[in-house]
Amino acid sequence: MTPLLRTAALLRTATLTLALGALAAAQDGVTAYTNATILPGGKPAMSNATMVVSGGKVIALGGADLKLPDGANVVDCKGKTITPGLIDASFQSGNNTQDLNEQSDEVTPNLRVLDSIDPEDPRFARARNAGVTTVHVMPGTRNVIGGLGCVLKTHGTDPKAMVIKEDASMRIVMGSEPSSGNRAIRGGRVNSMYYRRPTTRMGVIWEVRRAFYDAKEAMTKTQGAPGDAPASPGTQVLMEVLQGKVTAVTTARSEQDLRTALRIADEFGYQTVIDEAQDAYMVADELAGKKAVVMLGSPSAEGVGGSAGRDGAAPRAGTVAVLAAKGITFVITTGTNPAALPLINEAMFAVRNGLGPQQALDAVTIEPAKLLGLSDRIGSLAPGKDADFVIWSQHPLDPAAVAESVLINGQSVSQPR
Amino acid sequence: MQILNQRRTTGALLLTALCTAPIAAQDVLVQASKIVVAFGAGETKSTTLADSALLIRDGKIAFVGADIPPEARRAARVVDYGTATISPGFVLAATTLGRDVDLGEGAIAFTPDLRTAEAFDPWLEQLEQLAPAGVTAFGLTPSARNVAGGIGAVGKPGKDRGRLLAAEVFVGFSVSRTARNQERQPTSLMGAHQMLRESFTEARDGIKIGPDLAVLRQVMSGQRPAFFYADTFAELNAVLEIGASFNFAPIILGGSESDRVLQKLATRGAGVVLNTLNPSMRLAELELPAKLTKAGIAFCFAGRPDQLRLSAALAVRHGLDRSTANAALTRTPATILGQQANIGALRSGCGADFVVFEGDLLDLGARHVATWIDGKLAHGTLAHSKLAHRTGPNSKPQTNISGGR
Repeated sequence: MTPLLRTAALLRTATLTLALGALAAAQDGVTAYTNATILPGGKPAMSNATMVVSGGKVIALGGADLKLPDGANVVDCKGKTITPGLIDASFQSGNNTQDLNEQSDEVTPNLRVLDSIDPEDPRFARARNAGVTTVHVMPGTRNVIGGLGCVLKTHGTDPKAMVIKEDASMRIVMGSEPSSGNRAIRGGRVNSMYYRRPTTRMGVIWEVRRAFYDAKEAMTKTQGAPGDAPASPGTQVLMEVLQGKVTAVTTARSEQDLRTALRIADEFGYQTVIDEAQDAYMVADELAGKKAVVMLGSPSAEGVGGSAGRDGAAPRAGTVAVLAAKGITFVITTGTNPAALPLINEAMFAVRNGLGPQQALDAVTIEPAKLLGLSDRIGSLAPGKDADFVIWSQHPLDPAAVAESVLINGQSVSQPR
Repeated sequence: MQILNQRRTTGALLLTALCTAPIAAQDVLVQASKIVVAFGAGETKSTTLADSALLIRDGKIAFVGADIPPEARRAARVVDYGTATISPGFVLAATTLGRDVDLGEGAIAFTPDLRTAEAFDPWLEQLEQLAPAGVTAFGLTPSARNVAGGIGAVGKPGKDRGRLLAAEVFVGFSVSRTARNQERQPTSLMGAHQMLRESFTEARDGIKIGPDLAVLRQVMSGQRPAFFYADTFAELNAVLEIGASFNFAPIILGGSESDRVLQKLATRGAGVVLNTLNPSMRLAELELPAKLTKAGIAFCFAGRPDQLRLSAALAVRHGLDRSTANAALTRTPATILGQQANIGALRSGCGADFVVFEGDLLDLGARHVATWIDGKLAHGTLAHSKLAHRTGPNSKPQTNISGGR
């Protein structure tokens, strides 16, 4: 073969390789979203930006000059805004709350809410269509210690495939909810399991304290004597909380419950996330001092819904601004209040009440991702992250904004409007 | 106790009285123009004999068709069903015979070592409804109220009284709504799931011992089938997860949303016992038999005995093949109960439990002539000849299945 022919052959091979590469890109489903305003989460907005997605992941993010892979499908997003998929860090699942509470015992740390998840729960579809791609679901609030929460993507047919973090948290509940309806045994016939502890707010705290006390005892024992019977599954979960392996989430709404939640955590030496936290503005200094993270439940709501309303918490619209001013890390959630707005509107409400737009969006994207220990996968748009994102008709905090397309792992999951 | 059916003619009464007494001692040769030895479940063709006979000895099928020795044929008392079709009796895969109260220990939800055989009353009134519906055997399950209800039995109705065929056959579990009782543990599905997960773990790892955990070990080793009441997606998912974690193939009782877990059911080798169908059900439920079959999942029916034939006919109307539908009344439930050597077919050695129909089983207009259990007439008439006079141009078989509504 002459040098000339060899060069020609090489060129042919190179051309073929390039062509095959382009074909592979097309088959792989490489898609480029161009001309968009991208709010990547945790970073300033990028205008006229491009994002390239393949294999369920973001593979590139850049300006208009970003070189597109050969054969990529191009979606022109002129005039649209792209954000990471929203993350609701306290999401109530299940039409039937009875299945979210195992009420035969007031302390059930090892029960897993994942066992009651139905992927066709209409709440998932509702959240998904409003731009929420990941939720943190916890057991209900009828038990003092309800059990283990999990983090799920909002689309799928099998809970096992939807879940991205099992055993993400353990829920502790303060206030009157775990005691309401319980009755004391006073010589009557015990014909219901509601003859049980606790019947008072003091009793609720006593149950938490006893559970952690038993867990500490068990830790000493198992560390001391090999051959001891293993601790019960519930105690094992409590031990993991004490060791910092499982995040404690304490649901507390009124000022006194918030203080108690911090005090008990201190007493047993674990760090707790505070959930709901309507009265957080009253204990902002303590929260800041303890570096507690707050999952603010439905900040738009004027009252606390359900039986927890009697606890006397007084939500204020300005709480978001107070927390931000004190430097407290917080996320915005829909929480347990049935009157909660869609998550993006809760963020919009926070902006109306003094929170910066960037901070409000971070509070429903990157901040909850960090809180759940998943910021390497979700909550922001960067190469290597899950391609969970929303294409909005305009800036998402605009009241007229609509989630036009919702994508999870690069696949469209939104229903036609 | 047994009140004779008033609809029976005096002639038939006399015939019954004359014939049933000596039958116990003498072989019986039952003839018909068509005998279905076994409906195909997984087979392409049913085993069907034309103008043939069964020889019954001591309540069992001794010989079938050409295998009947000439001398036995000569010595036997002959019962001739003429142009009718004989097929295996129906097997009701799961029933509490209306005795839920006696079959669900109320104090605690975890009682896998209780035996339903203990609560079986051979004179129970509900047993009398079975033979007229063509049912010749049933699985006696614990009630759905307990997460682990107990050990189920297999029984038979009879001419006068019922009897147990096998006292300890399968283990009954439940994660359905009725098992989640607000009066005791568990109150929730996650509580029921956790209860099962912990108990099976204890049984597998030998953390605890006891008769209850010994029963769970029998389930894990495949010695006993495990029946689980489960209907919704979350309930079915819980059962399949337990089955996968502890390596056994569950039998689902209910399964009204099983179309959402078809792949998982097939992978696990699970079977489904559907509730009997009726025309007012959702289309998705009526299509379940065909969908399960397409996915390679064995299914049969439980629920109202008088709706078994209707269920099979409705399943055919909604896409199931006739052979599988017939098998779902007979051989499939027998196999699910692990009793295929004794019931669900008319092979030599099986109980002489069969139904006689004037026409196709799935034609709801076909007249039910008789039900035989353990070689004895339990319902209907001994001969076909009188009926032949009734079939005329005015009694054309109905083909509209809604007639069974």
